[in-house]
Amino acid sequence: MTQLNDDQLKKVERALTEAHRSRHAPSLGADWSSRVLRDIRREAAGHGPSRVALGLDRLAWRTAAVAAILALIFTGSVWLNTNRDTVELAALLSNELDATVPLTE
Amino acid sequence: MARHLAVGCAGFIGVQTLVSDDREIIQRVLQGEIDRFAELIARYQQHVANITNRHVPSDRVAEVAHDVFVRAYSSLSSFSGTTPFEHWLSGIAVRTCYDFWRARRREELPVSALATEHQAWMDHVLAAESDDQFREQARRQEAAELLQWALGHLSAENRLVLTLVHLDGYSVREAADLLGWTLVNVKVRAHRTRQMLRALLLERKRQDDDTTQR
Repeated sequence: MTQLNDDQLKKVERALTEAHRSRHAPSLGADWSSRVLRDIRREAAGHGPSRVALGLDRLAWRTAAVAAILALIFTGSVWLNTNRDTVELAALLSNELDATVPLTE
Repeated sequence: MARHLAVGCAGFIGVQTLVSDDREIIQRVLQGEIDRFAELIARYQQHVANITNRHVPSDRVAEVAHDVFVRAYSSLSSFSGTTPFEHWLSGIAVRTCYDFWRARRREELPVSALATEHQAWMDHVLAAESDDQFREQARRQEAAELLQWALGHLSAENRLVLTLVHLDGYSVREAADLLGWTLVNVKVRAHRTRQMLRALLLERKRQDDDTTQR
């Protein structure tokens, strides 16, 4: 057999699904529950590492929002200033052109 | 899914009672009675173990289930109560499993990593004529190991979708709900991952045959 047809593939897939579903979950036990509860108490007391991580996550998101706003303000100001400069430059050039007209004539 | 919905009238009343108990416990925990969370752990630890066991290696189930409950406690104030606590907790369990795989480097295991028994397993499955023979093959260790080999080739996202939709039998909508992803994302991934699994099996079969012929 060198190649699998569709039916054969489905049969193998079905066997793998059956294998997956027949896995038995281990029993976690009382010690496990105690350890979880101990970590939750630490979390509640504010000593848990996850609270620190959560705080850092929040800080990162807040910083990201502030950074985005600053970037928008900066982009806007650059755009406005660039436009104004262009207008001023155009005005200057047009004045110069106006001023040069009589000389060339 | 049928197995979630298959509750009789008496069972339904039982579930309703449990749900209201859960809400009461959650209220107490949020008011500072942290030890009451032990009741939720006792009630749902097997449910969480069952979910994590289907997604992570057996020797990591306890550790991941531990993280699930710590996360559940951390975000308990966001539990709205519109869905049963069990369902809300299932979502956290699935997303914790997803984070477990995201944090791990993907193992690109070559076909040669599989032993001769694994290579012969597929032939035995295809040759199985009765249901009993088929189930016997599916229960063999080689089946689980071959599946882990195939899943090891997938990204964390694809692995979770393949497991939820194709192996666990959740609908695309249910899987999207559990993962907190869009329906389209899960639908597209579900289609792609099945094609990937098939391609892996075909490739493996081709290499097995090449080895046999040499």
